[in-house]
Amino acid sequence: MYIVKQAMLKGCDEAVASVFSYRISYLKIANSKVDSIVTKDERGGSLFVSQGKRVFSTNIDTLSGPNVAAAIRNAKRNLAHLEPKDDYYGIASGPFKYRKQEACDSRIRDYDNDTISDIAQAAINEAAANGADNVAGTLILSRSSETIATSKGVHQAEDSAHARLSIRAFVNGLSAQKIAASKRLKDLGPAALGRTTAELASMADSNGKVTSGTYDIIYMQQPAGLLFSMVNEMACVGNVETGGFLMGKLGKTIADKKLEIYDDGASSKIISASRFDAEGCPTRKTQLIGDGRLLTYLHNNSTAAKYKTKSTGNAGLVMPSPNALVLEHKNTSKSIDRLISGIDKGILVTNTWYTRFSNYRSGDFSTVPRDIAVYIEKGRPKFAIRQVDVGSATGIRISENVFRMLKSTVRSANDTIQTASWDSDGYFVTPSVLVTGVKVTTA
Amino acid sequence: MSSEERESIAEYAVSFAERAGADYADAFVERSRGRSYALEQGKLNGSNYYDKEGIRVRFVKEKRLYVFSTNRFEKAAIAHMISMCKRFDGADTVLSGERAVNAKCRVGERRKLADSDILKDLMSMDKVLSKVKYIKFRSVYAGVGKSDTFFVNTDGSRIESTMPSAQSFASIIVENGKETRQRFLQFGGVGGYELIDPKIVEGKILGEAKALLNVIEKGVRLSAYELKNVSNVVIAPEITGIAVHESVGHPGEADRVFLREAAQAGTSYLTKDNMGLEIGSPAVTIIDDPTIPNSNGFYLYDDEGVKTRPRILVKDGIQNELLMNRSYAHFLGMKSNAAARSDYYSNEPLVRMANSYLKPGTASLEELISEAGSGAYIKSFMEWNIDDTRSFSRYQGSEAYLIKNHRMGKPIKNYQLESKTIDFWHAVKLVGRDFELSLGNCGKGEPMQGVPVTMGGASALLSFGK
Repeated sequence: MYIVKQAMLKGCDEAVASVFSYRISYLKIANSKVDSIVTKDERGGSLFVSQGKRVFSTNIDTLSGPNVAAAIRNAKRNLAHLEPKDDYYGIASGPFKYRKQEACDSRIRDYDNDTISDIAQAAINEAAANGADNVAGTLILSRSSETIATSKGVHQAEDSAHARLSIRAFVNGLSAQKIAASKRLKDLGPAALGRTTAELASMADSNGKVTSGTYDIIYMQQPAGLLFSMVNEMACVGNVETGGFLMGKLGKTIADKKLEIYDDGASSKIISASRFDAEGCPTRKTQLIGDGRLLTYLHNNSTAAKYKTKSTGNAGLVMPSPNALVLEHKNTSKSIDRLISGIDKGILVTNTWYTRFSNYRSGDFSTVPRDIAVYIEKGRPKFAIRQVDVGSATGIRISENVFRMLKSTVRSANDTIQTASWDSDGYFVTPSVLVTGVKVTTA
Repeated sequence: MSSEERESIAEYAVSFAERAGADYADAFVERSRGRSYALEQGKLNGSNYYDKEGIRVRFVKEKRLYVFSTNRFEKAAIAHMISMCKRFDGADTVLSGERAVNAKCRVGERRKLADSDILKDLMSMDKVLSKVKYIKFRSVYAGVGKSDTFFVNTDGSRIESTMPSAQSFASIIVENGKETRQRFLQFGGVGGYELIDPKIVEGKILGEAKALLNVIEKGVRLSAYELKNVSNVVIAPEITGIAVHESVGHPGEADRVFLREAAQAGTSYLTKDNMGLEIGSPAVTIIDDPTIPNSNGFYLYDDEGVKTRPRILVKDGIQNELLMNRSYAHFLGMKSNAAARSDYYSNEPLVRMANSYLKPGTASLEELISEAGSGAYIKSFMEWNIDDTRSFSRYQGSEAYLIKNHRMGKPIKNYQLESKTIDFWHAVKLVGRDFELSLGNCGKGEPMQGVPVTMGGASALLSFGK
């Protein structure tokens, strides 16, 4: 609150200050061994101020009185030279009511090298016991605390801790990768992750080739999360205003009627969720797609005021940002096997990366399956696709359009989990989904 | 913190680690500061300023590698972090022996960053873009900064550096009422404001926008049959560059070849069993060179204190050397070729590229087109991707043209160059004498680190012989 008061005393119209500390350890697994441990330990702060619709942000690396004063002087000097942001309407006015803060898992908060080595070793051992000839991965243990204060009545603190384990298992030249994440160490399940990842890599008895063409595709949770979270990203109003694919789509039918997509910042179980956003506004679960239609964009207080609506708790002080994807589908199969059984000619995609747009306006993109992809014929997994006989190369590419994908997402499995991807900053809560009629090209 | 204080704390960290039993230790202190501005559709999204300083300490003790970083400079905090690093059951790390270096590296600014009115220039450029009717959406960004670093290690190396940098980005969507095309452009490097000269940047964006409109208005769509039968393709330096970076540079990083990055940035078609693989035709020589002055990937000493040099990744079509840090150099019984880089003091150095390019040949663009006879010329791309082992890539032509009767023809709207890596580089028949580098930020590791790079080289004629 001291920083905010000082900024206001110096004549700013508004101020938001955040003070944080964190300690994160990254344990790297390579060639079935713990390779190294990297630990970051930082503390610092940030300041956002506005004056006459001019906005400025800065970090405050060392939180001493003279440093705070210098940061505010610098902010004031810069504000004087900026052009006003005409469509800026201010930060959220508190005070607000927030959901209760849950205690952090002390096993994550107080971890040491022995703890993290043991977790990693459990995953490596179980993957090896289930056929993996090589295991790679990362174990992340993170604890952090943040206090936010604003000139509009917000003063809140939050402590958080989580564990995240990524395991990639190689079995006879094929691979699979899975990521588990939890705020409770006991729920991380390293051994189960090691076992199921190795099992996934060896799910096909043989290898084979497919031809370029159209296939029904089942995206398991990780690729589903990666692809569908593009909706959350592009629903942020800043991306809408700069010509993103959701521009002009509000209220329009853009998806299968039974597909529901949410942005969830409020769930106590989602790693990337927190009780308040960057301006101290309480976070919430916002439905983006329902009954096939795009229901809202994602806003902070200022953009909400511009569009005469309410904040969705997605500040970003300058522009909104997404929290976490939650995907649900009302047309659900009991299991992924049931989902597979309904496919005549399809592909099971277990992981994907390098999702790149040729045009954000039209929503045209392509993505490359990274680990094992299995050809499905007449309701049964037939073989692992190996178009290129090099390492774990699958050698297929998916060419898609976002709207075609959303409209062709016709069913899901009943296997929802929280996961993430190396290729994204976000967290996803999603089941495996079936998308029909997808264009695939091959090496 | 003064440079004396910076050196003192780094030396303390290294000496404490040594006293705690480390066989090797290094410390890297970095202060970085800068400012940036972003305009979206003409609206200034404010200004951001940063001034950060921190230290990274790495040490090897009983063949285990420990890395930590902090922005707390108290000696007690650093000693505590080192003491906390208990031995774990894991892989051996041994570093190659390298010559101690005592050096100072200061990059100058022809136009001083501190004197530049970036915001005024950015706004006047945006105003020009706003008057171009067919540029329907635009985002522009400019940022300048400076990084002061000090490196010390137990081998006796002491390296001090000052690196100013300037970066500018633009994203434009061109529309003619019916159709849109998009382009990202990046400018800048290590040096002064001259690297993002507003008039040059503005001219480049306007030229690109005009070319995209031409593709929209005059471009043709090839049928699936026609696309399949394009056998001669001339690629411009932007395409050469992305192909060099993705399908030769990345797979030539030792930590991918030997699977340290397997769960993060992926693996490689190169393995310990196929070193010296014939990757391409004899016309293909690919180099990664951090020493190119003012380039985005410029550095003279890597983050392990090793003096850098150009690395010849592919020589006359044959895989020649991997990009290595000291750990992989020892593993391979070699000396490091100084490829260890981190994006910031708080992250560990990884094996990275710098400025990668296809070595120029002798042909002019006209000769490449004429030699192709018929086919396609790809000048720029928007969508691209590649598989985990870097064996199968695609580069979608943002600006592409038909080649007909040995001459450049109409723009093509839907050309995509999709092929296996080995086929791609073996198809190189003739290499141009031009040379151009494009900028990029290359992602790797966990947490993800984006380091500045360039990629490019010469134009080339690819004949797939269909």
